[in-house]
Amino acid sequence: MTNITPLIETSHLVKRYGDKVAVHDVSLEVHGGEIFGFLGPNGAGKTTTIKTIVGLLQPTSGTVKVAGYDVQAQPLPAKAACGYVPDEPNLYAKLSARELLRFVGDLYEMERPQVERRLDELLRLFDLTEAGDDLIDSYSHGMRQKTAIAAALMHDPQVLVLDEPTVGLDPKSARLIKDILRQLADRGAAVFLSTHILEIAEHMCDRIGIINKGALIAVGTMSELRALGKGETSLEDIFLTLTGGAEYAAIAEVLR
Amino acid sequence: MSLAHPSREHGPVKVSISSLRAQRSNLPHGATVRLLRRYAPRNDLKSDFDRAMPRKYGLGHYVGKLLRLRGLIIFSDFRHAKLRRKIGYLLATLFVLAILVGVFVASWALLSFLRSPQLAEFMDLTPFLASVPVIIVTVAFFAVLGTSFALLLQALYLAGDMDFLLSAPVPIRAVFLAKLLEAILPNFALVSLFSLPVLYGLGAAGRYNLLYYPLVVLVLVALALAAAGLASLLVMSIVRLVPARRVAEVLGLIVGVFSLLCSQSNLLFNSAQGSSEISSAQASQALSVLTRLNTPWSPLAWAGRGLLDMGEGRWLTGAGFLALTLGGVGVIFALALRTAERLYYTGWARVQVGTRRKKVARPSRPVAERSAPLVALIERIVPAAVRGLIGKDLLVMRRDLRSMSQLVSPLILGVIYAVMLVRGGGQAPAGRGEAPLWFMQAMQNVLVYGNVAISLFVGWMLLSRLAMMGFSQEGKNYWLLKTAPLSADKLLIAKFLVAYLPTLVLGCGFLLAISLLQRASLGALLFGLAVVALCFAGAAGVNLAFGVVGVNLEWNDPQHMTRGTTGCLGMLASAGYMLIALALFFVPPVGLALLGRSETIGQLTGLVLGGIVSLFCAIVPPLLVRDRVPRIGEV
Repeated sequence: MTNITPLIETSHLVKRYGDKVAVHDVSLEVHGGEIFGFLGPNGAGKTTTIKTIVGLLQPTSGTVKVAGYDVQAQPLPAKAACGYVPDEPNLYAKLSARELLRFVGDLYEMERPQVERRLDELLRLFDLTEAGDDLIDSYSHGMRQKTAIAAALMHDPQVLVLDEPTVGLDPKSARLIKDILRQLADRGAAVFLSTHILEIAEHMCDRIGIINKGALIAVGTMSELRALGKGETSLEDIFLTLTGGAEYAAIAEVLR
Repeated sequence: MSLAHPSREHGPVKVSISSLRAQRSNLPHGATVRLLRRYAPRNDLKSDFDRAMPRKYGLGHYVGKLLRLRGLIIFSDFRHAKLRRKIGYLLATLFVLAILVGVFVASWALLSFLRSPQLAEFMDLTPFLASVPVIIVTVAFFAVLGTSFALLLQALYLAGDMDFLLSAPVPIRAVFLAKLLEAILPNFALVSLFSLPVLYGLGAAGRYNLLYYPLVVLVLVALALAAAGLASLLVMSIVRLVPARRVAEVLGLIVGVFSLLCSQSNLLFNSAQGSSEISSAQASQALSVLTRLNTPWSPLAWAGRGLLDMGEGRWLTGAGFLALTLGGVGVIFALALRTAERLYYTGWARVQVGTRRKKVARPSRPVAERSAPLVALIERIVPAAVRGLIGKDLLVMRRDLRSMSQLVSPLILGVIYAVMLVRGGGQAPAGRGEAPLWFMQAMQNVLVYGNVAISLFVGWMLLSRLAMMGFSQEGKNYWLLKTAPLSADKLLIAKFLVAYLPTLVLGCGFLLAISLLQRASLGALLFGLAVVALCFAGAAGVNLAFGVVGVNLEWNDPQHMTRGTTGCLGMLASAGYMLIALALFFVPPVGLALLGRSETIGQLTGLVLGGIVSLFCAIVPPLLVRDRVPRIGEV
């Protein structure tokens, strides 16, 4: 059920690194109850956009609102409403998953009994109960990724932003993530995820945004994208046509 | 739904995908055709097969390739460096050359003097002079062996390029050899910086023949290879038992403690001897110990003796010793190479797999257990986020041995100074009796507060490390704090307390122990504790502010946490603050005591003056950098 109030709203977002424009005039809205897929080729500006949404980067111009709060002007309530899973699960290697989740609970000023209950639930959910007291140092990439996702879910966020969440996950865990994201959206949260796996975007996302060279070049539901595509039925074709990968697909065809 | 053309600046413009495709079809066709020609499969299957099977080359070919790659990286790094850094490299090179020349000239002069007939009339230094090459070669060998261990551990197991290299069609032996050479080159250069000019100085002083000089280089290179080979075997053996990362952590701790003990060896020696002067008997004893290295049973002595004999024209024995040396080196190196293939791969594989330590999950502590009155009070005063951050930082520091090595240094220093103080009995040295009485009284008064000053010094070192690197130590995990609803104030308070509280405990504990041992008065103890608490607060504020300004989140080695200039400036600023604060705390009581007035009034005046400055420094510098905190981690 899509809510009318946007929980993520970027308006004319621009981010420059010196002369290089990483994000150019990106305006989009993600509503509660919606899973928004953010696609784009490598270096298109996906991660930069995501980092400005979660407050890791200050935009050069434009505004970002999360749960109605301006991320720059009112960072604390905006961040309190948001959960973030980065593309690289860099976590404190010398903490265990249990200690990390407890620490995250403290950062979000959660009540201690709630923290304990929630971390037990999440460790069980992500099949980390047994490894919960081991140091993260000894975790595989997939386990770290699951721990990062559990950390983002600790405070039951209204807005969840995920940068390539299924990278390094086994099929069972990837499926679990998809189900969790769907459940979160059904409960009214806004989910914003970037992915290179177009199949995930096609089947999971309510709406899709495609960014190329820093600019948002298409936003809409799958059917809306197809309607405008005039012939292209799969998201892969639409994506390649829009982002200039069609020639390489043709070359790959010749090589077969 | 909208489709926005990227070239348009003012709002999305609806275009159809087919029109975009049409635009793409207008792109130069030639480019695609060229790509197709380049990548399309060829019909000549034989030539394809030949291309797929790499030609067989010797080991040297692959090692050369890998070393060229390393050279390319170093050259590229230099080429893309800022002009300031390039000038720095140039100056460093000139400095190294100056050291080489300086050591050579000094050795030449010293060894010529030791060989002079005038000196020979007083003492016979012939056995020592004959042992000089053996001593130098032995020291160089063990220096390369010791320093290579850490570098080889890093190069062979912890370097980020191993996935790439081991999956490439390059023999593992070549990878091992290239890594070995890359690792020992810097150490060899460093060791040669001192050993080469000394051995050349020996040659010049003894007027050795010309063949001696290239042989010195050959012997040093050979021994460095042998030392590195042995170090690599040691590394590979240990890594089979203990994970490489853990070995690196333990090594960091050992090296840190050892370096500190070396730096304080003079103090330790004085403390043990009770005097800083070395008697002639001790000197001759030390010389005889060094001379004992020149035993015919030591393979390292063969190298030194070979060089000496060749230099002095005893060709047969010289060639024999050198042949033995080079043969031994060959055996060690061949053994290292043969063992490498088996041990190296399995050890490296263990690094990739990781070792999960199975522990019994600790049950969560019941909530009721935590509601002791003191804990409840702390929970009410200190926000959960600040408490969580402090707990996390202390836990991570305790578990990371690399950080621990930096933290134990102040504790070792504390023990050394405590022993010295206790042995000294807190009395001013008697001197030679020429100092006036008032000066001796002033000295005695100053020494009363010496305990406080030393407590402050010991704590200050710990504080500098904790406060200056409070933010940097978050490293790549900083995103967790930055995306959390945590204000800059809370973050600064947490980092301040992480630095301040352990230092306060250490400083006060140290002062308490020393005061009890020296039976200091209660008034002096209370004054000292207040000074320690206030001084540390100010130093924490200054160091924390510099830590924010010079924050570096992109580090792999904890020693690279702060940027050089800011780290130095921070240390200077906090040292300057400490001197001013100490003067304000101590001048009034010492001054009033000298004038025969109440020392207590002096102490109270000192506390007010020093306290104001300390609290100012504790609060104002962090406030000045508060606006920088939300921007930490941004380019």
